[in-house]
Amino acid sequence: MKTAKKLGLAVAVATLGMGMSAASMAEEVNIGFSGPLSGGAALYGENVLSGLRMAAEEINANGGFDINGEMHTVNVVALDDQYSPAQAATNAKRLIQESEAPAIFIPHSGGIFALMDFNVEDDFLIMAYTSVPTITAQGNPLTLRIPPTFDGYVKAFTDYAIEEYGTKLAMGGATHEYAKIWGSMIEKAWEAKGGEVVAKNPMDYNKSADFFTGVSKLLAEDPDVMFVGGASEPTGLVIQQARQLGYEGAFIMMDQAKIDEAAVAAGGLEPLENTVGVVPLSTDESEAAQSFIKRYEEKYGKTPGSEAAYNYLAMHALVEAMDMTDSTDPKTIRAAMNDAIAQMDSSKNPYAVEEIDEAGGFVTMPTMSVVKDGKIMEVTF
Amino acid sequence: MTIFLQQVFNGLTLGSIYGLVALGLTLVYGILHIPNFAHGALYMVGAFISYFFMVDIGAHYWVAMAGAAVVVAVLGVVCERLVFHPLRNAPPIHDKIAAIGILLFLEALVHMVWGSDFRRMASPFGGVVNLDGVFLREQGILIIASTVVLVVALNLFLRKTMVGATIIAMAQNREGAFLVGIDANRVAMMTFAISGALAAIAATLYAPLNLVYPAMGHLVIMKAFVIIILGGMGSIPGAIVGGMIIGFAEAFGGYYISTAYKDVIAFALLVVILSIRPQGLFAKGAH
Repeated sequence: MKTAKKLGLAVAVATLGMGMSAASMAEEVNIGFSGPLSGGAALYGENVLSGLRMAAEEINANGGFDINGEMHTVNVVALDDQYSPAQAATNAKRLIQESEAPAIFIPHSGGIFALMDFNVEDDFLIMAYTSVPTITAQGNPLTLRIPPTFDGYVKAFTDYAIEEYGTKLAMGGATHEYAKIWGSMIEKAWEAKGGEVVAKNPMDYNKSADFFTGVSKLLAEDPDVMFVGGASEPTGLVIQQARQLGYEGAFIMMDQAKIDEAAVAAGGLEPLENTVGVVPLSTDESEAAQSFIKRYEEKYGKTPGSEAAYNYLAMHALVEAMDMTDSTDPKTIRAAMNDAIAQMDSSKNPYAVEEIDEAGGFVTMPTMSVVKDGKIMEVTF
Repeated sequence: MTIFLQQVFNGLTLGSIYGLVALGLTLVYGILHIPNFAHGALYMVGAFISYFFMVDIGAHYWVAMAGAAVVVAVLGVVCERLVFHPLRNAPPIHDKIAAIGILLFLEALVHMVWGSDFRRMASPFGGVVNLDGVFLREQGILIIASTVVLVVALNLFLRKTMVGATIIAMAQNREGAFLVGIDANRVAMMTFAISGALAAIAATLYAPLNLVYPAMGHLVIMKAFVIIILGGMGSIPGAIVGGMIIGFAEAFGGYYISTAYKDVIAFALLVVILSIRPQGLFAKGAH
């Protein structure tokens, strides 16, 4: 019992010490992050965070950034929300009160919507990593959307697939909110193009032990194209199992899943033949992208995905804006973001984002790629 | 007909895995009265150990499975010695809290060592047999066959050997077992070892159809608890039959109704069965 008390005291002292040391370093600007860092989606959250950390370390290695003549460093304060919007809101409150973070990165739409309820009142910037179009349609003045919205993909993927592969579509997407919105938009676009939705059987990608049953139900209707998508890895499994069940048609892959990552789970690119999806970062030939991939691989020992790259460039843009305006005030930063993006060195901008639109969306060209003869080919549209 | 047979096969595959996991859980509960929430974590560790043996050391699939079974059996015994044994006279709630503690500890540990990446573990049985339109995955056939073998072997062990008889004796009557001189420590360790080995084997059998990642135990552990409640806490045939019921409910419900409702169907079955037999299908009496 005595040891337990002593231990408790030691922990208390250590925590206090940590708190004091954080407060005494005034030359540091905290940037918040709330995302899944444990549980089934931990990998996604970690990938986002890795991009943010990498940008912060690059900035700090160069001596930080300048606010009114004083050099400041960036510190990423990361809290785990396990994908829960309620926990994300609690985390945001902690990040603004304890760490005085002027901006919070958050990589899931549920949490973003929760934070948008109070971010103007509490005065902090939401760095939203989601492609749900309604995020920027709400007119929240302190929200920035980092990736492109998915409505561009929906149209491009539908047009391509219906012309190349046939008119019968089976819906085998995941059941979370994001996938449902995507799915319903695909259905609408498909039918508007004159196609037919022959089967609908959404599956819980995160809680299903097996997809054999769900996929066989879709295949019973003999579709030409199957809509799939959730996280990359279970999406790869769905594709693999469809092939095992003798499916020879094409796939439309929701943008949450990446072709290269899904291929790892499916055991190679071969099962993914005729899959239409977004261009994976690893096949982006541009110099900025390649330079980022190289630096990321050196640091983390694995190939980065788009979530690392987008958040990396957003962090650089955010700091650039603080540096330009000599301010950490969220409104001032938001106003300067467009100029900051334009001024930013291309090595910090792997997706070549050129500007930020009125509503706060980063403007990136939507891209599309198709797996053909075992290779990922970029398709222009 | 082909569709029906396809779902029978899918249901058998899923039911076998659920049954194997539930079997380990029900053994520990029936004999030691510990609801081992950490069982899903043992399952997950089993998959990672197999992955380690196969990918990092390059061992054969069967060797990796045996290795994982041994490692997780030892891990189970360590949990029993370090955690559950010291709590044997504590109120039952302490066991539950300790089990959740082990669950969190093991998940965090695996997360620290292997990270949160999804890993693919390919078995040598990756092919698909096409039987006149019914697609049988070789790994699925292996799962069903292995489950039959394991259940028969476990039954023989419990019924025909002296050591097995001591375990049964403990399950039937603790005090009586002590009176005739059965070593409770040995039985406890043995039970945890068998339970751990079953979890590791189930994980190694199933991992090639799915992926290996730290949260993989969550998928099966909730279902395993449902199964042992359904089949009757502590009942071995109950675990197998319960596993099959849930597996078939998922396969047939998922196909003929909707995949979105497959859990609803499984849990509705649970409610119906429990309202007819509150003690579960095979339990002799309520604990």
